[in-house]
Amino acid sequence: MGIGIIVLIVVLAVLFLVIGFIWMTYNGLVRLRNQVKNAWAQIDVQLKRRHDLIPNLMETVKGYMKHERETLEAVTSARNLAQKAIGTGVGAQAKAEGELSSALSRLLAVVENYPDLKANQNFMALQEELTSTENKISFSRQYYNDSVLTYNNKTQMVPSNIIAGMFGFKTGEFFEVTAAAEREAPKVSFG
Amino acid sequence: MWEQIRSNQTRTLVLVVAMGLLLLLVGYFLGEAIFGSGIGGLVVAILIWVVMNLFAYFQGDSMILAISRARKISPDDHPRLYNVVEEMKIASGLPKIPDIYIIDDPSPNAFAVGRDPSRASVAITSGLLERLNRDELQGVMAHEISHIKNRDVLLMTFCSVLLGTIVILAWFGSRMMLFGGARGGRRSSGGGGGYATLIIVAVAILLMILAPIAAQLIYYAISRKREYLADASGALYTRYPEGLASALEKIAGSTQELKTANQAFAPMYIINPFRSKGRAASDLTSTHPPISERVRILRSMAGGASLAAYEKAYQEVRGSGRGVIPPSALVGETPVAARKAEAVPAEPGKVERARETSDLLWKYSNYGLVNCECGTKLRVPPKLRGSSIRCPHCGRVNPLSSRP
Amino acid sequence: MDCPACKGVVVVVEYQRIELDYCTKCYGVWFDAGELSLLAERLDLRGAALDVNQIAALPEKKAAEKARGCPICRKKMKKVTLGSAPEVLVDVCTRGDGLWFDGGEVGQVLGQLKDKGAAADEQGRVIDFLGEVFHVRG
Ligand SMILES: [Zn+2]
Ligand SMILES: [Zn+2]
Ligand SMILES: [Zn+2]
Repeated sequence: MGIGIIVLIVVLAVLFLVIGFIWMTYNGLVRLRNQVKNAWAQIDVQLKRRHDLIPNLMETVKGYMKHERETLEAVTSARNLAQKAIGTGVGAQAKAEGELSSALSRLLAVVENYPDLKANQNFMALQEELTSTENKISFSRQYYNDSVLTYNNKTQMVPSNIIAGMFGFKTGEFFEVTAAAEREAPKVSFG
Repeated sequence: MWEQIRSNQTRTLVLVVAMGLLLLLVGYFLGEAIFGSGIGGLVVAILIWVVMNLFAYFQGDSMILAISRARKISPDDHPRLYNVVEEMKIASGLPKIPDIYIIDDPSPNAFAVGRDPSRASVAITSGLLERLNRDELQGVMAHEISHIKNRDVLLMTFCSVLLGTIVILAWFGSRMMLFGGARGGRRSSGGGGGYATLIIVAVAILLMILAPIAAQLIYYAISRKREYLADASGALYTRYPEGLASALEKIAGSTQELKTANQAFAPMYIINPFRSKGRAASDLTSTHPPISERVRILRSMAGGASLAAYEKAYQEVRGSGRGVIPPSALVGETPVAARKAEAVPAEPGKVERARETSDLLWKYSNYGLVNCECGTKLRVPPKLRGSSIRCPHCGRVNPLSSRP
Repeated sequence: MDCPACKGVVVVVEYQRIELDYCTKCYGVWFDAGELSLLAERLDLRGAALDVNQIAALPEKKAAEKARGCPICRKKMKKVTLGSAPEVLVDVCTRGDGLWFDGGEVGQVLGQLKDKGAAADEQGRVIDFLGEVFHVRG
């Protein structure tokens, strides 16, 4: 009888531990998955902000840059394509946004030849906004990728991978930029 | 990975517990020596500590901002500063952008306050704001936001309250014992119990002298460690250790002391606001590691920006095998490359930054602006009487109409 | 801030992006340490002769002029002379907050400016700048 009670206690304790482990791991996974979702939403906010800034930028710039029609049109069309790519998946959107980034950096490189434009108060304010939005995009991408990395580690590593498999937690997709202009910028390597 | 940086900090925990024990010891022996009840002393010590903690928790941030005469700015007041803080909010995954304050003081410094990441503020002096370029500003804000993210503000407030309580108790204790309140003094008839009393009084006196010093040293040790950690996380957030390194170098070049600094909050500043000239480099009695060492570590990260790269550089520069980063934070971390230096387009120069900052301060002080035709600008304090002002450069008489 | 000489109202004069504090009553000028270093940088003067702390280390000049308190830190300022061709008596904050030129001193600078060409030394060029800003008295 004494042995029976001991066995019962041991079984209950083990059961308690197992349930506790599943409970905590599950909650951890949900928290990380939400973090990934929020991080993605943050990228979206910043990308939209950039889309909104571009018409304003074009308006300010076009009076000064009469001979740069191609560069200007490239930015406008890259913006339109990027806007169409919203909601078509992480990979496709990353590619379209990458094209927009490189079109913009070509434009800003050309600005160097227009000292009047560079001294324009309106343009200076816009440029700070644009610089910062670019930074915010890359920082939100950085945070997103770091969150995906943590989340993926958790879904693939023993023992949390068992729980992840049981409840169908899928690994997340990294936001990688493939446009030519950004390729040289060092990024997190996911080796 | 950065979630773990604040958990599992055994060394910090040990130090905090040591400080707590010190407080209890002081309380017990002072109680025993003064009113003959160790438990009573304990109760008094804990009561003072709890009240101070509650105050620090709920009012600490508004108090320090008020003491520093910090002014909250809106995004339009200084778009670049606001943007940089928002960038670091995003990079660190903070739930909410901290309130941003500016302090009218030529001495370069910055600090963070706030009990949790969703209710935090960062403050920067005008002297620092006008000195830093965009990358450097980003480095400083990354460091401050790391303090928020790593919950150092809460930890250091907690520790300074502990320290403060110990100091207050020791001070009151010494006064009371000196001026005849002591139980040992009242007892004139020596007996068997006299011996024990004597020992207790001796221990109490010893504690009164040593406890504040010991608590102070422990407090400094915790603070220095958190500084290194904030530098490491700052480098990780910006992916650009050079920004913070170069900012620290600029700050180190100044010898001005902050006018409104408060000793209790010294660990919250990016550099110690009380540094005095000619102090020994690696001093046990400093809230901050020497700036030169912090700069050398950041510059030794060899193109990396990860916590592991900082850890390696830290060990290299200090020439010891002991690190600062909690091992749990390094698990599962992948190598992270630092961003290469690149010119930020359209960045305002030194003079422009100075004007930007002073314009903001004039605006806050309700100065009126007179633009003279000759290009000279006059900024007029609200207390100036009269309806016109003569330009000292060209002699034109300008009306004082557009005054707030 | 109040005028350290006469407690009059001080206005800020921004000339070529450099700010100077100017007393509307006695015409004295406060040159803040930060602004002085901005000017030095723009004039491409890198010598130590323009560092306020260095100026504060100059030998004290015995002068009949009344001692003045620093408008920033309120401590008593030290009297020293700047420049060589026209030697100008100024008050310098010993903590390094800045320099004070009395109204009369600025007038003296203006008077001498007319007689000579460009100043030779670094301090002279700062004094010239002062003369340029305060072209007209009153
Ligand atoms: Zn004028
Ligand atoms: Zn005056
Ligand atoms: Zn002074």
